[in-house]
Amino acid sequence: MAPKRPLLAAGLMGVAGLAASACGSSSSATSTSQTTATTAAPATTQANAAPNYAATETPPTANVALQETGSTLLYPLFNLWAPDYHTQYSNISITTAGTGSGTGIADASSGTVDIGASDAYLSPTQTSQTPTLINIPLAISAQEIVVHIPGVTQQLNLTGLVISDIYQGKIKYWDDPAIKALNSGVNLPHLAIAPLHRSDSSGDTFLFTQYLSKSDPNGWGSANGPQFGTTVAFPAVSTALAEAGNGGMVTGCGQTAGCIAYVGVSYASQASKAGLTLAAISNQAGKFVVPTAAGIQAEAKNFISQVPANEAISLIYGPGDTSYPIINFEYAIVNTKQSDPNKAQAIKAFLTWAIDPAHGNATSYLSQVNFQPLPTSVASLSLAQIAKIGS
Amino acid sequence: MARNAEALTRIGVRTRRRKAASGAAISLGVIALALVIVPSVWIVAQVAFKALPHMSWSVITTPGVGLGGGLQNEIVGTLLITFGVAVVAGFIGVMSGIYLSQFAHGRAASVLRGASEVLAGIPSIVVGYVGYISLVVAFHWGFSLGAGLITLSVMVVPYIAKTTEVSLRQVPSSYVEGAEALGLRPGQILRTISLRSALPGIVTGLIVALAISVGETAPLLYTAGYSQNLPHLSLTHSPLGYLTYAVWTFYNEPSAHAVQLSFDAAFLLIVLVLALITASRIVVAMASRHRESA
Amino acid sequence: MAGAYRRRPFPLPKGKAALASDLASRTEEPQAPRVFRPTTKSPLGPVKIASAASAVAPLLALLAILAILIHQALPAIKFNGVGFFIHNVWHPGNFYLQPQTTNGVLHPAQAEYGAWAIIAGTVLSSLIALVIALPASLGAALVVSKLLGPRVRNALGVFLELLAGIPSVVFGLWGTLTIGPLLSRDVYPIFAKHMPDVIILRWFRGSTGAGEGLLTSGIILAAMIIPIIASTSRDLFAQVPKLTEEGAEALGMTRMEVTTKVTLPWVSAGIIGATVLGLARALGETMAVAMVSGSVLGTLPTNIYATFNTIAATIVTTLDSALIDGTGLAVRTLAEAALALMVVTLLANVGARLLVRKVSTTALPVGRGV
Repeated sequence: MAPKRPLLAAGLMGVAGLAASACGSSSSATSTSQTTATTAAPATTQANAAPNYAATETPPTANVALQETGSTLLYPLFNLWAPDYHTQYSNISITTAGTGSGTGIADASSGTVDIGASDAYLSPTQTSQTPTLINIPLAISAQEIVVHIPGVTQQLNLTGLVISDIYQGKIKYWDDPAIKALNSGVNLPHLAIAPLHRSDSSGDTFLFTQYLSKSDPNGWGSANGPQFGTTVAFPAVSTALAEAGNGGMVTGCGQTAGCIAYVGVSYASQASKAGLTLAAISNQAGKFVVPTAAGIQAEAKNFISQVPANEAISLIYGPGDTSYPIINFEYAIVNTKQSDPNKAQAIKAFLTWAIDPAHGNATSYLSQVNFQPLPTSVASLSLAQIAKIGS
Repeated sequence: MARNAEALTRIGVRTRRRKAASGAAISLGVIALALVIVPSVWIVAQVAFKALPHMSWSVITTPGVGLGGGLQNEIVGTLLITFGVAVVAGFIGVMSGIYLSQFAHGRAASVLRGASEVLAGIPSIVVGYVGYISLVVAFHWGFSLGAGLITLSVMVVPYIAKTTEVSLRQVPSSYVEGAEALGLRPGQILRTISLRSALPGIVTGLIVALAISVGETAPLLYTAGYSQNLPHLSLTHSPLGYLTYAVWTFYNEPSAHAVQLSFDAAFLLIVLVLALITASRIVVAMASRHRESA
Repeated sequence: MAGAYRRRPFPLPKGKAALASDLASRTEEPQAPRVFRPTTKSPLGPVKIASAASAVAPLLALLAILAILIHQALPAIKFNGVGFFIHNVWHPGNFYLQPQTTNGVLHPAQAEYGAWAIIAGTVLSSLIALVIALPASLGAALVVSKLLGPRVRNALGVFLELLAGIPSVVFGLWGTLTIGPLLSRDVYPIFAKHMPDVIILRWFRGSTGAGEGLLTSGIILAAMIIPIIASTSRDLFAQVPKLTEEGAEALGMTRMEVTTKVTLPWVSAGIIGATVLGLARALGETMAVAMVSGSVLGTLPTNIYATFNTIAATIVTTLDSALIDGTGLAVRTLAEAALALMVVTLLANVGARLLVRKVSTTALPVGRGV
């Protein structure tokens, strides 16, 4: 299996349940020689070396305008980075746009933008179509599940199975016995649940549906289930609502009593301002957890040693009592083949600056959006990928 | 006698019933009129009410930064695109109107005219999709001013062509005949007589077309793209912002400032459209006064 | 074509200030003064060539749009088959599995498309719009042209132009932040409570949602197509000869009877044409619907307040996302949907214009009815 689809296998390493369902449905897949172009062997050589940021951190002296688009989860961070970077290097200007991870990947692939932002790593189809496209982790993010039930201010406990049933329309009301059983002492109203999902192609949907697939392998994750992706066929639920972007999810959920939504942690403060309450969700160990810094780092530890050289890996649903199960790398999607050498240098310099703990990966930036910095070994892998960008 | 009186009452009852029905119909008509007028007034008032209290110069003079900042880049972008459309669609539209009124005849004219009218009825997103697939992707122009204004021009040429043709046809034939009698050549007549007296109509059509292009979104999203930088004057690889984009992306953000920007952009759009409509009315009024005094 | 202008039975009233919209919608001059008579040997080669090229441009654009759409859509048509129009599923497939080949078309594993829900959503929302807009437009046009003077008729023109000129996104903004929430809070619950559980009206019962949905979209669309139907109707009513109407009134008809028995039949073809044109515009309207529909895919609305989606709104909200399908099927499927939408609006436009050109004298408005 693995030699045939190296990227996929690497990406799903350590997540047996998902890999099984993924492999099972397409055992007759045709071999793709192109995908081997992006090496996927676990990289141990660079992992231990101290990251050398200085090598690629110098921007060109010419004026360069960079364009970024994509993930709305990463958007608030880019909006912190871009003006500061411009202040530091006045000849480099960076425009940002929060359009959804799908657009980020597609536009970076088609060359309409310089940097795509994505919560999801590249798929084998994309890398075979554009072999020069790479995904570079910039930080670690997490996703929170929020609910809007007027009159209920306590934090709800929800299992992945219950959330899966809600999104499949099997659990219709907040006072369903399955929810009550997890939340004794909470006075749940007989209010219809409105499951919100993203209308655009989204890394958040990718993360959320991976979590559902792994917590509910026989339902959501089964061959007949919706499974996972940046766009999935959400089961028809009459109260369902689709919103564009994390901002749309927060606003839409705030306007809809009875809603449940998945939102990136960079929108945590907006979500609570909109009257949404955070729900604790079950991890692999069956414990209910919320996205704290410690929980995110505990989850990340499960996977760091397995990160392959192309850094395409799922960080969802790892073991450990304190691990928060929905975390991910936030990726910059870049084409290593740039037509303009100045642009290539500017992209390299900016991305290096972004993952440098002295600059973009400093807590002063990341804490504002509740992200966690890249571990040193991953930063080294990112630097190695950044070094490939050229003209 | 009695039978007559009975018949008269019967008629009287029927007449009253008919009159009542007529009255009811009239009041329904008045309600219908309100249904037409209320939304337009409501929308304008609502947007002005939401936008004006927070409107300041900084909205107009600072470019956008993420979800904050102002609308300078969008304002400049909208003006630039509209100017481009005025040039491209204006030229093609007026020339097309000249051809249809002066040269074309028979079946060919009918087909050309029909195609133009039908083109204006094609859903804007379909035109936008094709603009994206062909200009942005296949021609490698990237999100750009060029792709945006060509896509938009395709949509508004029919308006300009139509008004130009109609206005040229309305030039009284006596003018043309008089000029012919004076021995003017066809080119001179077209330039000095026909186009001059048709000018108000042509300008009106142009203004209407611009009002439409100011307010379009779907054809631009995937052709002009978006940028928070001030537009640079290049036809390709030059994504730029425009006011309708600001309305469309900011309204749903969980940030009061972003929603405010959305309303500000909507307000500026309405002001622009109203100004253009007023301008077209002034042109028409001036032209008719001129005609009367002549 | 010149013949069509001569076919007009009655001279049009020439108002002092011809409205801009009148200019756009009428072709008045009985003798179009061609500077260049067909027989004249034109010395103006360049002008003729340049203007001919410009006049052909819209036709070429139309053909190019069709050709590009067909070229884009062909693989999707092959892959999706006839089922595309009757099935209700929207699953771009799993991009993280190896793509497969079916019917010679490369596609992501598990990809499956059926546009039934968005086709139904498009048709339903447009029908709701028509049910509201047609009576409102006719009533307003009648009141203005038959009861009130030309000055008021002019004033209505201002409102119609304003309504036609308000950008689609501003309608959407108003719909999603103002009228939608207002209706769903104060009006829809009343409908839902009191509507009897009988055919059609049953659709008004049930959950009224948060304001985004079918009925709200229909209402917004109605406001957007009123200018097309109302401005044409107003022009048509102005054309009905005074003598005929006054004669009918002299025979003892009430105003309503004159309207229903004389005025409306006189202009019926034109109104049908304008209505079809309005329908076509509602079917293709994009931004406003995208903002008030609720954007759900693959879900049939269960009542009139339910969230849904249309073809045009689906294209605008998912085209960027579709681009990440490395096999290109998602983008091509949107081309197939766009092609279907284009063909329908094309037929509606051509049909309406042919009908009106055959039997009526007023030309239909171009595009949005400005």
